[in-house]
Amino acid sequence: MNIPGIPILTVVVFFPLLGMLVVLCLPASRGRGIKIAANIFTGLEFAATLLLIGRFDAVSGEMQLVERLPWIKAIGAQYLLGIDGISLLLVLLTSLLTFVATLSSWDAIKGRLKEYYVFMLLLETGMIGVFLALDLVLFYVFWEVVLVPMYFLIGIWGGERRLYAAIKFFLYTLFGSVAMLVGILVLRGQHQTFDWTAMVAAGAVIPAALQGWIFLAFFLGFAIKVPMFPFHTWLPDAHVEAPTAGSVILAGVLLKMGAYGFLRFSLPLLPAAARRFAPVIVALALVSIVYGALVSLMQKDMKKLIAYSSVSHMGFVMLGLFALTPMAAKGAVLQMINHGLSTGALFLIVGVLYERRHTRLISEFGGLASRLPVYAAVFLIMALSSIGLPGLNGFVGEFMILMGTFPVSWLWTAIAATGIILGAGYMLWLYQRVMFGPLSHPANESLKDLTLREFATFLPLLILVFWIGIFPKPFLAVLDKPVEKIVRIVNPGAFEAPR
Amino acid sequence: MILSAGSGLASLVPEIILLAAAVAAMFVHLFFKRGGRRAAGAVALAGIGAAGIALGLTPPAAGVLFGGHLAGDAFALYFKAAILAAGALAVVLAFRFFDVEGREPGEVYYLMLLAIVGMMASVSAVDIVTTYVAFELFAIPSYVLAGIFKKERRSAEAGIKYFFVGTLSSAVMLLGLALVFGLTGSTRYAAAGPVLAGANGRVVLTAMALAFAGLFFKAAFVPFHMWAPDVYEGAPTPLVVFLSTAPKAAVIAILIRAMTALFAGQAGAWSLLLTVVAVATMFWGNLAAMTQSSAKRMLGYSAIAQAGYLAIGLAAWGETARMAVLFYIVVYILMNSAAFGLILLVDKGGRFDESVDGLRGLVRRAPLASAGMLVVLLSLTGIPPTAGFMGKYFLFTAAVEKGMVLLAAAGALNSVLSLVYYFRIGKAMFLEAGPEAGPVGVSRLVTVFIVVSAAALLLLGLLPSLLTGPAVSAALGR
Repeated sequence: MNIPGIPILTVVVFFPLLGMLVVLCLPASRGRGIKIAANIFTGLEFAATLLLIGRFDAVSGEMQLVERLPWIKAIGAQYLLGIDGISLLLVLLTSLLTFVATLSSWDAIKGRLKEYYVFMLLLETGMIGVFLALDLVLFYVFWEVVLVPMYFLIGIWGGERRLYAAIKFFLYTLFGSVAMLVGILVLRGQHQTFDWTAMVAAGAVIPAALQGWIFLAFFLGFAIKVPMFPFHTWLPDAHVEAPTAGSVILAGVLLKMGAYGFLRFSLPLLPAAARRFAPVIVALALVSIVYGALVSLMQKDMKKLIAYSSVSHMGFVMLGLFALTPMAAKGAVLQMINHGLSTGALFLIVGVLYERRHTRLISEFGGLASRLPVYAAVFLIMALSSIGLPGLNGFVGEFMILMGTFPVSWLWTAIAATGIILGAGYMLWLYQRVMFGPLSHPANESLKDLTLREFATFLPLLILVFWIGIFPKPFLAVLDKPVEKIVRIVNPGAFEAPR
Repeated sequence: MILSAGSGLASLVPEIILLAAAVAAMFVHLFFKRGGRRAAGAVALAGIGAAGIALGLTPPAAGVLFGGHLAGDAFALYFKAAILAAGALAVVLAFRFFDVEGREPGEVYYLMLLAIVGMMASVSAVDIVTTYVAFELFAIPSYVLAGIFKKERRSAEAGIKYFFVGTLSSAVMLLGLALVFGLTGSTRYAAAGPVLAGANGRVVLTAMALAFAGLFFKAAFVPFHMWAPDVYEGAPTPLVVFLSTAPKAAVIAILIRAMTALFAGQAGAWSLLLTVVAVATMFWGNLAAMTQSSAKRMLGYSAIAQAGYLAIGLAAWGETARMAVLFYIVVYILMNSAAFGLILLVDKGGRFDESVDGLRGLVRRAPLASAGMLVVLLSLTGIPPTAGFMGKYFLFTAAVEKGMVLLAAAGALNSVLSLVYYFRIGKAMFLEAGPEAGPVGVSRLVTVFIVVSAAALLLLGLLPSLLTGPAVSAALGR
């Protein structure tokens, strides 16, 4: 499907917005029609992103399918979209998870359907735009567009403390965003352009001290989003209160936006500062890994447990990015995808139970394995994927990160590895308490296993978990060149050392 | 004077139309008794529309008119258009307000027109005396407008307060301008400016500080804002829309002319002064707004804070700042009118509920207006893809270009602060359940008003070049 003349990236970005308009035009009383339309649009969007693969040249490390139009002449901002391997994987992850999340909402969301799907589709346009925008103004616009629908998803369809969680999420991330905005403006002052490709081509023109300040500004924006310790406090609240689909998107995609920001902007545009701050960020990443895991061990609420595990897993990603070796960075990007798949799935898994029992407390469950065999199997696979069992996706990413970090520092590697052990601890303990043991609560006796629709939402995730675990080569192949290109800018030394 | 006036008269057609409309509105009001009040409003609106058309047909004049009293440049035309728009928006909201209120003082309409004429003169004034006269010409009707319900305590208080503080500020400004005349012996900006640049620094700075203090009062810049929250809370809502938008646009135009033509030699001083004012205004306005429970008073503080963002552009004056300020002033007028419009959206038994709590669950009763309001709130906060974001982006860019990174950072931080209270409105409308009972009327007029404003804000947010194109060319004088 290689149709010349069709700006496919624009189509991919704005197709969900078209869906939003369609849903807006449907009468609010036609709940079923709205659901069908939303699912069709997110499904077609996923298909459209799959078409990207066909038009994508995996050998090249450059930006491809670039679309460039003048936008705001007064300040030189452009409508500039482009895709490389990193963006491609993240766009695919986004469209898949949005489709899955939308499908999973079919029964879960009961009130104000129209608004729900409107926000969901708007969210998708924002997220995909973030991963494709190469002009910093455009990037910022998409970045912020994401906040509003997520605020409403949490605030309207969330749990008991949804109002608090929603505004906390909004304030925190907006604070980070505006810091980034100031950074963008200073960066533009140096380069006289907002064009990422031009900035990369221009190379090191910014004095190191100034790079440091810009880096810090970007750091606030991205680190809050990731989130890194100590900026993570919005995350548990947002996750616990958000509806299941919101959590899936939040953990699966929104956190990746932060890590993507570091990789796409902080590293190649501010290489000197990135090198200088790398030890600090690695330290924070290691704290996030261990702290997130320890706090997960303590949780009574399943959703909160998985939320904190995200802090730990994203710590791995950050470690991989700032180890500044190609192997670790590639592992980090793959780990971003892995985390999106497995944590997204785990939130869905919790959501399945919550829909049936309206509680997420671990102590309310136990012995479910005998009642819900299919559910138990899916849960187990996803738990093991999250732990990083060899043969499943999590292993590949974590292993690459550790392997890429080891030549830099064995100590970092050792600390990070304890995170994996703790991860196995909280995840298996969770599984044990929920699934094994006697079926103590009478309310759990009548629980129903996964419906066909629910299983369908898990199926693509299951396939990918095994695929990446067993044969990660196609995924890594698209990452090779673009990741190496970025790492080479920051740390050319990593390519000289014999490995 | 009279002889040379003929040459510039063509540039004054919009003002002449407005004056004629004001007189017509007055007679309609007086002779047609009860029904004539609304008819006076219609005449006023038609007059503004006709003046707008005439303005569109007026080419920017090179050089000065009337022997150097007025400039008919593109800058003036742009601000005149903005002021006309603000007036039109206020008149439309006045229709709704007086429908519910039951009593309709028809003089509102022609007083507004007279004030607009004053503002239009002030934005083209390039002479000290003309500036002052024009300034008073819009100030005096404003006092009357604020206290139009003279038997109602809040409104009367607002009028009196506005009057006292306003006349004081005029006097202070006049003192500053008198010093300028004393120093230079000329009332023309073009002649006085170069002399001032070479004159005794301390006296010039005193003159500038006094003149600017008067203007800061009218623009409600902190610390000259004390009157504003009370006036904005006390005056009838459509008049608040008028008083919080049009005079600010006029004052900012006067400031810009004074900065660039009269005190160009003191650029360092006024830049510092405006930096302090910008930071104080943004922080004070936003922090004070957070504590309000009345939506109207909250929006009053919001209007103060928004002017603080504009002050960033003034402090960082330059090519980019021109574009930014000219863009944001129009965006501000749109956002602010639509936000105050929200208060007029719903009436409960012939009254407007001005509290934030009164907006609870609004999305159920007025989904379209709520959606529009969401865009307006995002724009006020400065979140893309809205015009408010683009305007702030331009303003911050201007600051960063001048090396004022911390000023831009302060502005950005204030965006976050403002989210706290703007989204108390958003939260009330969308996330909280409202009372079901009670006779409630949702105005179709205000709904359209808000939705059209929101659409304009979105359009300008996505394609700011629509406005920056002409804005830039206006600023650069084509």
